[in-house]
Amino acid sequence: MHNRRNFWLVLGLTPLILTLCVMMGPSGFGLPDINTEREIFMLRLTRVVCGLVIGAALSCSGVVFQAVLRNPLAEPYILGVSSGAGLGAAIAIVTGISALGATILPLCAFVMALITLAIVYALARNGTSSSIYGLILSGVIVSAVCSSLLMFMVSVSSIEGMHSILWWMLGNLEVTSYSVLTFIGLLIVAGCLGLWALSRELNALTLGHQMAHHLGIRVKATVVVALLLATLIASAAVGVAGLIGFVGLIVPHIMRSLVGADHRRLIPSAAIGGGAFLAACDALARTLMPVEIPVGVITALLGGPFFLILLKRRRVQNWLE
Amino acid sequence: MTSRMTPAIQLTSITAKYREHAVLKDLSLTIQPGEMIGILGPNGAGKSTLFNCVSGLLTPTSGTVKLFGTDLRKMPPHERARAIAVVPQELEIPVPYTVAEIVMMGRTVSIGRFSSPSARDRQAVERAMVYTDVADIRQRPLNELSGGERQRAIVAMALAQEPRIILMDEATSHLDINHRLEIMQLVERLNREEGVTVMMISHDLQMAAEFSRRLIILHQGQIVADGPPHSVLTEDTLRRVYHCDVRVCQDPKSGGISIMAAPRLPSVGTGKGIRIHAVAGGGCGEATLRRLALCGYTLSCGVVNRGDMDAEIGAVLSVSLALEKPFSPISREALQVAREMAAKADVLVLTPIPFGSGNLANLELLDEALTAGKPVFIASGIENRDFTLARNAEKSILLLLSRGAKLYRDVAELLTLLPAKLSD
Repeated sequence: MHNRRNFWLVLGLTPLILTLCVMMGPSGFGLPDINTEREIFMLRLTRVVCGLVIGAALSCSGVVFQAVLRNPLAEPYILGVSSGAGLGAAIAIVTGISALGATILPLCAFVMALITLAIVYALARNGTSSSIYGLILSGVIVSAVCSSLLMFMVSVSSIEGMHSILWWMLGNLEVTSYSVLTFIGLLIVAGCLGLWALSRELNALTLGHQMAHHLGIRVKATVVVALLLATLIASAAVGVAGLIGFVGLIVPHIMRSLVGADHRRLIPSAAIGGGAFLAACDALARTLMPVEIPVGVITALLGGPFFLILLKRRRVQNWLE
Repeated sequence: MTSRMTPAIQLTSITAKYREHAVLKDLSLTIQPGEMIGILGPNGAGKSTLFNCVSGLLTPTSGTVKLFGTDLRKMPPHERARAIAVVPQELEIPVPYTVAEIVMMGRTVSIGRFSSPSARDRQAVERAMVYTDVADIRQRPLNELSGGERQRAIVAMALAQEPRIILMDEATSHLDINHRLEIMQLVERLNREEGVTVMMISHDLQMAAEFSRRLIILHQGQIVADGPPHSVLTEDTLRRVYHCDVRVCQDPKSGGISIMAAPRLPSVGTGKGIRIHAVAGGGCGEATLRRLALCGYTLSCGVVNRGDMDAEIGAVLSVSLALEKPFSPISREALQVAREMAAKADVLVLTPIPFGSGNLANLELLDEALTAGKPVFIASGIENRDFTLARNAEKSILLLLSRGAKLYRDVAELLTLLPAKLSD
């Protein structure tokens, strides 16, 4: 069965890609000497680890949003969840409450992301069901509102604050503190494992909420838990790395065509593949130009056309097969 | 045999509401294990709501639903999934699952959260696939299959649940007739060999009658008929429920019931007491004559040549005819006969016939009718049917139209234009 073979292929190729990522950087290609260039090595390693964790979170949440909302175009960035989380994080930074503890910023991001998701979902629910386009449209609108609120905060903040918020909005994997990275990393790993444990429920939910009910799933509880976990990991990722779009769209679709739609295999491959993808994008961001470009720019440049192709095909019947 | 004692499904005076509107009203129903039941009724009768109550998707506002003696509200979801499976009309599956993956979904609750399918699960899936004959296409993605194959795979998923009750919600209605039969025979076999209780919603009265031993007709949220097909499917009941005339026939050979919509023609009988004189010929008036006769108009026709198709049809429909010798132009005598007929008629109709110099005289009848103030209807498209040398027919008809004659496109339109009986 080629699905299974591809699954092991994804698992096997990932360390290779990650090693390549560690070898790439503005200071030249090649593995830094552990003894003399320890600093550079550690810097690159943490960025690769950061990319791995953030990419895993974004693509796993993409997989789950797509399954639960039964919408092939759903992902945290498009649904406005990322912008909501970003707004929450910015509020935490600007008001200074993020300084009170490492957990405050991700918590603010999470709460705002949840509120955004609830608003987007309520807006898209036209009567009884939410259509594919309705969800995306309301996502775009809510996202725009969040962005302007963010812009407002940028405009009233100091010059240095402006640059840091802007830079952060574009998405980057620069690690500011190891403790935050550790905390967020653990949160994301736990969230992904939790979602993996919901694989069979997610499988049933892709057949529609009614069919899932007939198959013996507690639909309401599962949907709530899955959306909470997906929002949690997405907002945690945004809290650390800013707005990195389209990873949650590109990776799940590629993985689905590689390993099949069974979430038992899809979630781990999306996590690992998404991590490798983002780490690779970040390596490109560091080396393509003389100055570093934000990784969010790279993923958006790759993801925009991908999104349009998906939209054009609109093969909702069989997502990218 | 305790299962003989406890009914498979027991609904006790359930009322279910949808947006404050009662869809099921105080409905009670008992279904024994091993029954095969067809649920009929027009749209909005409450069939789907009944299914949703039985499958637990909807909780009735009052009354109880019991499956094998257990109250559905007290039944945990995983137990309910083992008792009852649902085959929907169509399952939209947005991701490319293979047939095997879909069938394995039937085992969703029996596979542990952190374990792979057990030998028992694999066996149930294998059996379901063999039973529905999808084992050979197990690696194919579902969305590449034909409608019949897809539906078989969905039935296989339901079977893999190893349920004791299967609900079929119009599960065959979008399939071709061959696939429809295939699925029904499959379900019938399940019912016979495995003793699975089957409840199906169907819009196909005939199919339901053939495959169910008990039929239930729902109407406005209540059961209006319940029993074996021949006692339920009566013309009276169907007329009351579906508001249309049907004919129920029993095939003397097989005992099968066939249901036909009674011939439904617009304004049948509305022409009683109204006389129409039609100008026909060459078989072109055939359809018009037949339709007008069916609607009860009193018809006369002419002048036509003896042996002409329209003359023969006219004779069959007992139309009074003004006849001329075969292949001869219209004589003064024949025209006089027709003129007398036209004088008695209330309306004159010119059917879409071709004109030559021989039958041009018929147009005089229409002219005289207009003078007498009678409505005249003329089939459109004379420009293609005028074979006179100087296009005299077309000229005459234009003149008639200018004097108040009306054009019609086809018989259906003619029927709407014709005067109908005023009483009733």
